[in-house]
Amino acid sequence: MTNLLYKEFKLTINPFFYILPFLTGALMLIPTWLYFFVLLYFCFITVPNFFANSKAQNDVSFSVLMPVRKSDIVKARILSVISLELLHMVTAVIYAVIHNKIYKMENFFLNPNIAFFGISFMMFALFNVILFPMFYKNAYQYGAAVGVSTGAAFVFTSCVELLVVFSPGVQSVLEGNTVSQLLVLAAGIVSFILTAYIAYRLSSQRFEKVDI
Amino acid sequence: MSALTVKGLNKKYEKFELKDVTFHLDEGYIMGFIGSNGAGKTTTLKAILNMIQINGGEVHVFGQDFSQNEMILKQDIGYMLGGVDFYIKKKIKTITDVVKRFYTNWDDDVYNSYKERFNLDEDKKISELSDGMKVKYSLTLALSHNAKLFILDEPTSGLDPVARDNLLELFQELVEDGKRSILFSTHITSDLEKCADYITYINNGEIIESSTKEDLINSYRIVKGSLKSLQEIKEPFISYKTNAFGFSGLIRTDDLKTHEDISVEAPNLEDIMIYYAKRENKDD
Repeated sequence: MTNLLYKEFKLTINPFFYILPFLTGALMLIPTWLYFFVLLYFCFITVPNFFANSKAQNDVSFSVLMPVRKSDIVKARILSVISLELLHMVTAVIYAVIHNKIYKMENFFLNPNIAFFGISFMMFALFNVILFPMFYKNAYQYGAAVGVSTGAAFVFTSCVELLVVFSPGVQSVLEGNTVSQLLVLAAGIVSFILTAYIAYRLSSQRFEKVDI
Repeated sequence: MSALTVKGLNKKYEKFELKDVTFHLDEGYIMGFIGSNGAGKTTTLKAILNMIQINGGEVHVFGQDFSQNEMILKQDIGYMLGGVDFYIKKKIKTITDVVKRFYTNWDDDVYNSYKERFNLDEDKKISELSDGMKVKYSLTLALSHNAKLFILDEPTSGLDPVARDNLLELFQELVEDGKRSILFSTHITSDLEKCADYITYINNGEIIESSTKEDLINSYRIVKGSLKSLQEIKEPFISYKTNAFGFSGLIRTDDLKTHEDISVEAPNLEDIMIYYAKRENKDD
């Protein structure tokens, strides 16, 4: 398993995508913006490139020839994507702290606060649970899987932003006291972990049936 | 001891199927797996390696069920399916660094000795290697993790005659100690005449023969004669060709009947393949 992860980080992922979170994270410094875009760039840029590179390099054929289980190949791919998602989250948190130190004004949309990152975890949860099971139907065509999962993440975050603007109830939870924000964060982390497991189970079941 | 036993392997596709593919390879021998393009060679090799879902059958490697012990048994298998066509823009040393981590029996000394013997430049990218060097790199990786069974899909395809001859000599050298076995597919029958101990012939998803090279050739005869004599004896032919001067056809040696107007000779592997393919075309 660790060998497969090593392979993902050494061979499959372009090193640029380890730097990208620090570049896209800096977009948190834009005053008053739709900050979910900062994390959506991961879905727009990193994931399609990651999957395209994997396909171009014939990664599946390489991996199945190694002495590993097919389910481990799926697990390694999910863990490597999750690692990059967490890297994007961590850098975004750092920039969000700087943002909140610099700018004292309220954002028209959701502030980059604790609840924002809870919703971001939920966004990635939704993204992952659609992306991986769709992709592992044939472990080859990634376009539809990336398109649908990114679309779902975009619609979800757009709805949250609109609710923050038009629903005082939602705004009071997401921009209210620290406890309510921490609850949103906890809910986000739980859904992120849960959907990662569901995505793994569904994907590995499907990948077992794929002819390489 | 049997290195590889394949029993009743079935795989159904919409327009093609593997039908009860059965053969076995003993330790210390080279088996050539022959068949025309699309006969099912690569599909069989992929089915053996659990890369495709089979509809029935069993694969045993060194006496153990492959599907139950895949992870352990893969440690002892070296493969090359369709050339080294992955991560072609990466340097050899990068690929080796990743691959070696998967194998518990990896031996750096063996790797370095074969690397020197084959003049492999570790700073070269896979895409910079010739077809022959790609095969040698695959073999180097397999030998370095002490593989006992080599499954190679058309390793000689695309090689020039000299490189092919070198490779076939290497195959013979590898099995010399009786511990390694090689199953390699090809449609170049002269490769097999040079080095294969056993031959398994697949045609349209069915195994036609799996035996020693000599037994396979002895099971068939090429019969030549006049068109008149053809009318009298054509029934048991696998297939035959006619021209203005007469006919020539492939027949099982057991079905051979004496006839005054015919000549009989031993076929080569190519003859057997061609006449079986001709029968398929006729059936279509």
